Amino acid sequence: MGKLWYLAAFALAVFASSALAQENAATADVDALLSRFSEDADHFTQTDGAALYRTTCQACHMEDAQGDAGVGAHPPLTGNSKIMSKHFVAGVILTGYRGMPGFSSMMSDAQVAELTNYVRTHFGNDYPDPITVNEVADLRPPENN
Amino acid sequence: MPTPFTPTRRQLLTMIGQVAGTAAMYQAMTSLGFAAESGYTGDLSLQGPRQGRRVLILGAGIAGMAAAYEMRLAGYEVKILEYQNRHGGRCLTMRGGDRYTEMGGHEIACDFQDGNFFNPGPWRLPVHHRAVLDYCRKFGVAMQPFVMKNNKAYVHSQHAFDGKPQRIGHVEKDMRGHVSELLGKSLQQGDLDGQVTLEDREKLLEGLKEWGVLDSQYRYRVSDDLGGVRGYDVRPGGGLMADTKPSEPIDLSPLLQSGLWDQVFNFNSYSFDPPMFEPVGGMDQITDAFAREVADVIQLNARVTRIAQTDNGVIVTYADGARGGEMREESADWCICTIPLSVLGQLDVDCSDAMRRAIGAVPYASAFKVALEFRRRFWEQDDWIMGGVTYTDLPLVQIAYPSYGFLSEGPAVLQAAYDTATAGRTFTYSWSTMTPQERIDAALAFGRQIHPQYDAEFMSGASWVWHRVDWSLGCYGEWTDGLRDAHYETLCKIDNRLVLAGEHCSHIPAWLEGSLLSALDAIQRLDQRENA
Repeated sequence: MGKLWYLAAFALAVFASSALAQENAATADVDALLSRFSEDADHFTQTDGAALYRTTCQACHMEDAQGDAGVGAHPPLTGNSKIMSKHFVAGVILTGYRGMPGFSSMMSDAQVAELTNYVRTHFGNDYPDPITVNEVADLRPPENN
Repeated sequence: MPTPFTPTRRQLLTMIGQVAGTAAMYQAMTSLGFAAESGYTGDLSLQGPRQGRRVLILGAGIAGMAAAYEMRLAGYEVKILEYQNRHGGRCLTMRGGDRYTEMGGHEIACDFQDGNFFNPGPWRLPVHHRAVLDYCRKFGVAMQPFVMKNNKAYVHSQHAFDGKPQRIGHVEKDMRGHVSELLGKSLQQGDLDGQVTLEDREKLLEGLKEWGVLDSQYRYRVSDDLGGVRGYDVRPGGGLMADTKPSEPIDLSPLLQSGLWDQVFNFNSYSFDPPMFEPVGGMDQITDAFAREVADVIQLNARVTRIAQTDNGVIVTYADGARGGEMREESADWCICTIPLSVLGQLDVDCSDAMRRAIGAVPYASAFKVALEFRRRFWEQDDWIMGGVTYTDLPLVQIAYPSYGFLSEGPAVLQAAYDTATAGRTFTYSWSTMTPQERIDAALAFGRQIHPQYDAEFMSGASWVWHRVDWSLGCYGEWTDGLRDAHYETLCKIDNRLVLAGEHCSHIPAWLEGSLLSALDAIQRLDQRENA
């Protein structure tokens, strides 16, 4: 019995000394997590492709862009011939595709370009032809469509 | 020769509205079959088949189960194939011990105490959702009031009043008082003489004084009368308790600048008119009640892969989970398919090209929820909030307090974060990218800005992200006017031997009522076709 108490006290002491460090690490993690939310409720405020991917596409296409499949599927963004076309990728981000909602009202042309170029050069994709902001602007559907 | 212009129903109604006014438009809408309180009358009259007819229903949500229940009553032979190992579809309730592995492989673990729960999908019933309430009456589903608007709950902005939440009743009554004062001044100065007669002006001034609680000079100021409307800093007591002190209104300009008035508009929705209701014990009580009626015709773990049509019937191919995934076929005279369009579009379906385009045209909305269990009801005990919803400009958007178990001791569950894409906000996408643990962390980090008790009282959390559910791939059909004009009618029409039903085939997306009405409408049309 006495030995058990000793062990328990020892474990508590070890726990207490590491608890503060853990707490600090957790705080930093939460800050990083909260930065995933946009400052603006109506528009995404992230500007670089990686951050935009992490706060939108990742919901369905997942951290590694492999998607997932059960009875219904979110398609992978690698090994996917559709990704070859920068116009297709940017167009889908703007207008959506089948069940996927479009983001034209929530992302600027520059954001759509960044995101398109990020997806097409990461996760094992290595397409050499970036899309320009002007090319995205040409793809943008008229408002209230 | 000019091509005759054949307008869509929407274009026709707009034209009538422009030419003859909204009353005429409404009348026209009624004769076209919209408007007029959903057209649901409660007396479904199916003739039934003249000879043995088999109806195969895909999906054991409320639409599928209602279709099975009513068609069987009318004499059809029915069978439901359901992909999941449960009935109920998107109407579900999570309780302690429930586990769900979402797409991406993360497990949601709900460890709430006995009696506590949360509803990831539908969670409240408008009083005018008559079809749902009629079936609840028929099947004996016990109802309790759902507190939607609680004047003691908060509206909150991180950028206003030093981030301190304000009571809904205060914001609403102060805006009413200030607007009454402004209107009163305008009337007294004769600014509105062109708009109101002298007699009406007097009535209006008299009314504004009562309505806005204005003083004799038509000013909105602290007063004993206002205490009786807005509340007190020191509430009336008994015996020798301290003297009553009415509360002080918030000034107009900071109130307008805070954005909190806008948040109160959330409660203006017709859907949220009081009283709202919820089933006692969780939303799945409704679908469980349907399942009690039709459980014997539901085959669970049946994953549909193909819907084939012939001239006089359907053949549905499915993987039978009860037989190790063996592929089997089921034939019927008719098929009622309630599979969400997001999933249906990925299956092999025989239908017209127009219907195929319609199935592929509707995006599925993002929606998420986080629920947190706390050791005690601090919102009741400390903050005097008994049910209702707090709105905030934080990404958690809203906190809903339980409308059951009031005053009880012990753990209770808050719906601590919830939003859908209908509001067009970015936040729901960002929540949907997170792991179950991250969602809890974020809900705690934001929520403690409104309720500082979070840290001391938190026990456990559970969540749901509709885009990470493989059998719905999103929450509900996100229609636009343009999409409806192009595809809605096609989607709802009987396509040879196939008809679709579900919330996506309704003008009430995401609500149980929409799903139910679409099913009742579909089976009525099938029955008419059968008897044509």
